[in-house]
Amino acid sequence: MEAFGKKIKEITAALFMAIVLAAFLCACAGTGNSDAGIKEEENDSADKVVVISPHPVDFMKPLLNEFESQTGITVEIIRSGTSEAVKRISGNEAIDVLWGGSVLTVSSYDDSFAEYKTVNYGDFSEEFRDMPEGVTCFTDVPSVLIVNTDLCGDISIEGYEDLLDPRLKGRIAFASPEKSSSSFEHLVNMLYAMGGGNPENGWDYAQKLADQIGGNLLEGSSQVYNGVASGKFIVGLTFEEAAITQMKAGRHVKIVYMEEGVVFTPDGLYISKKAKNPENARKFVDFMTAKDTQRYISADLGRRSVLKDVEESPLVTPKEDINVITVDSDTVTSCKDEWTLRFAALCGEDGHE
Amino acid sequence: MNKEIPSFQENIRKTFLLLSVTPVIVTVLAAIIVFIITWGTYLSFTNKRDCSQIASDTNEVITRYYSMLMDMEDVIAENGGDVKGAGDRLFSLLYECTADYDDIGNLMVFSPDRKVIFSSKNSIPEHLTREEYDNWGVWNRIKKYPGLTKTTLYSGNLYITRGVYQGKELEYALVYSMPSQVIADIVNARNRTCVVTDSTGWVYLSNAPGLTDEFGQINAILEAGPGYAKLNGQRYVCSKAALGKGLTVYTFVDLNRSIRITVMLTVIIAVIFLGIILITFRSTRSSSEVYTRDVKKIEDAFEEVSRGNLDVSLNIGSSKEFQIIGNDFNEMIDGLKDQIDRNRELAQNAAFSQVKQLESQFNPHFLFNTLDNIRFMARIDAAAADKMILSLSGLLRYSIRETREEVTVSEDLQNLQFYLNILQIRFNKRFAYNINVAEDIGDCLIPKLLLQPLLENAVKYGFGEKEKLTVNINGYQIRENLIFVCEDDGVGIDEEQLNAIKEQLADSSESSAHFGLYNIHRRIRLMYNGDYGLDISSRKGEGTVVRLTLPKKTEEKKQ
Repeated sequence: MEAFGKKIKEITAALFMAIVLAAFLCACAGTGNSDAGIKEEENDSADKVVVISPHPVDFMKPLLNEFESQTGITVEIIRSGTSEAVKRISGNEAIDVLWGGSVLTVSSYDDSFAEYKTVNYGDFSEEFRDMPEGVTCFTDVPSVLIVNTDLCGDISIEGYEDLLDPRLKGRIAFASPEKSSSSFEHLVNMLYAMGGGNPENGWDYAQKLADQIGGNLLEGSSQVYNGVASGKFIVGLTFEEAAITQMKAGRHVKIVYMEEGVVFTPDGLYISKKAKNPENARKFVDFMTAKDTQRYISADLGRRSVLKDVEESPLVTPKEDINVITVDSDTVTSCKDEWTLRFAALCGEDGHE
Repeated sequence: MNKEIPSFQENIRKTFLLLSVTPVIVTVLAAIIVFIITWGTYLSFTNKRDCSQIASDTNEVITRYYSMLMDMEDVIAENGGDVKGAGDRLFSLLYECTADYDDIGNLMVFSPDRKVIFSSKNSIPEHLTREEYDNWGVWNRIKKYPGLTKTTLYSGNLYITRGVYQGKELEYALVYSMPSQVIADIVNARNRTCVVTDSTGWVYLSNAPGLTDEFGQINAILEAGPGYAKLNGQRYVCSKAALGKGLTVYTFVDLNRSIRITVMLTVIIAVIFLGIILITFRSTRSSSEVYTRDVKKIEDAFEEVSRGNLDVSLNIGSSKEFQIIGNDFNEMIDGLKDQIDRNRELAQNAAFSQVKQLESQFNPHFLFNTLDNIRFMARIDAAAADKMILSLSGLLRYSIRETREEVTVSEDLQNLQFYLNILQIRFNKRFAYNINVAEDIGDCLIPKLLLQPLLENAVKYGFGEKEKLTVNINGYQIRENLIFVCEDDGVGIDEEQLNAIKEQLADSSESSAHFGLYNIHRRIRLMYNGDYGLDISSRKGEGTVVRLTLPKKTEEKKQ
């Protein structure tokens, strides 16, 4: 028995050694691979910029492609609504740039953003130069109505007043102004337009619209234009470029500039104070406000440029043909929270979502 | 060690199991591990090889187009800068390079203000002509790298561009839009999951849509580099090869299928093993039984011997070693039996001589008393004296003449009569007796002069101060035993003396202080093995009971 046992021990030991050896070789091969991987990664992370944005993918795609191709900087994109994005930046997340979100909405959080004067500042139109610290205008965005042309039938939709048509009850897409900056723009727009210049007088209309919507506020702006394009809603309160993108994609929708008045609000580029890649962040802002880029955006993507000598987009109605109204940006900024809560209350939400 | 010691068979069986199953399991496990390692290495090796093959093939093709554009520049230069005039030569160069494909691709020559000077196809993409593209996309690359040939991916098309400069002024731009078939053919030839991107990860060609993100870029995890990658729960081995000309080739091995196969294989092998273990478990039981059968035989034989049965022998023919053990065992048992027989004989001889000696011990007191009585009787009653003398001589004759150790019950009773006669005459009416022996035991054998000492004892202790003594002797059979009971109604034996008697009876050593009862007891013990002998009980004033127990033996049986 003793001899047997010894033999078994020997066999087992030999096999065990073989396994250990194999495992060792395997491990060696494995680490060899992962070493290479880590090196590559280091190279990558050296040249990147982390961007958070509420823009539609189709809008961002050609711009990001061109930015990466021209600069060689990798963009790590995070998609998010404006309010959420601001929250994440002020919450110490490693994000370099907020790209998008209306100036009126974001500028109330200017603590989180670093001051930067882009190299293209001289090309800016006068009205887009005088901005709070940390805000760089990107494009000029009017609020519009997007209408599904197949579903609207003989309902005439020319402005806010027409949205109160009983046939549209429950068929109006509107995102929560708390979550979406474009929705907040619309709220501001309707308060000023329906209040005849005094937002306090516009709340009667807001009440009626809230009843018409039926308390069903959407989560984000994308649900508005997608909802109308897909026929879930007949009409939606959105921003111009979103509607144009849907039209370009061949969806059966049309843009209506509200006859009671349209507010144009620029959206912006904001560099985080805690940016890990501040140099690349500045390059990103420079690229997005460069003339070539602005020209391309205006010509192909249906947004209005903030630069003075870029022609207006052929895709949009000229500003002269629209009933443009202006708002007092200080009032809007200071009343933002109050108004969003008040509207949420009208819609039967508790305002804390 | 504190456990129960396992049997030899169990040990053999364990050894079988250990020697047969363990190496197989360990070997197969090692084989599986080696297989997995080899398989993994093979997969990643072939993947890497195909990746660099695709990359080098693509590089070759693109290099061909690069030189084509340079040749075209030369042709145009030869033609004095007249692009349109050189059209047929441009076409012939183009056909030369694209002979292998259905599509010749779109070769375009642009003026610096994006006007088409020459085109091999009618349709010109808008992103090459419109104003807003003046420094955007393809035109950005032409202007950024004056005089260089570049590969640009724009809007899903792969362009090879070359801006021809005269000093700092762009003279014209050569733009060739590669047919997508070219690289697709290279990739398809390898039959592999492959993604071709530009240097910033924008996908030109992919045969696995799941690997790109919603923007049309290759997923960042995969872009990170070669090695193992996990994406949406799918596992890949990824290889990456960057071409110098602005393209990167990624190839992937979908590990999930391999993992599934490996898991399946392992499960199947595990099931097989389970089967093997079960079968071995059973087969080792029977084979270990066969191999240890001789040991079992030996064990049984020893067990029998230890239980006292010596009539065993071992017949082993299966193996030499055990045969020797068996033969030696048999010899040993035979020797043991001889020894035992010899011992028994010696013991019997010893017992016999002792019995003989005991038999011959007549109590001298009795003789003295009887002779004294005869003397007395001779004076008063000659007839009685005569009878006494006859009886005494009969008794003595019986004791001397009879050489047999055992006599039948009836014989002993007949001779007992002599003694009874003597007692009767001696005590006359003071003594009465009843003998009641079952007739069916008359032929049974008992030691000679068995009953006489009982009577002697009764007379010795019974009379005391008493006037009259009655003795009853009963003999009967209980099962295979003969019982003789002698009871008297005498004064009994006082306790102290009774205990002394009992002690003497229990003492088997040969004592010199013999008396009648001890004598019988000793004889019975010596002659018969077993729980036989004499038992006495007595009560002061009530009498004494002596009981004999001995085996039933008949003359026929003995022979």
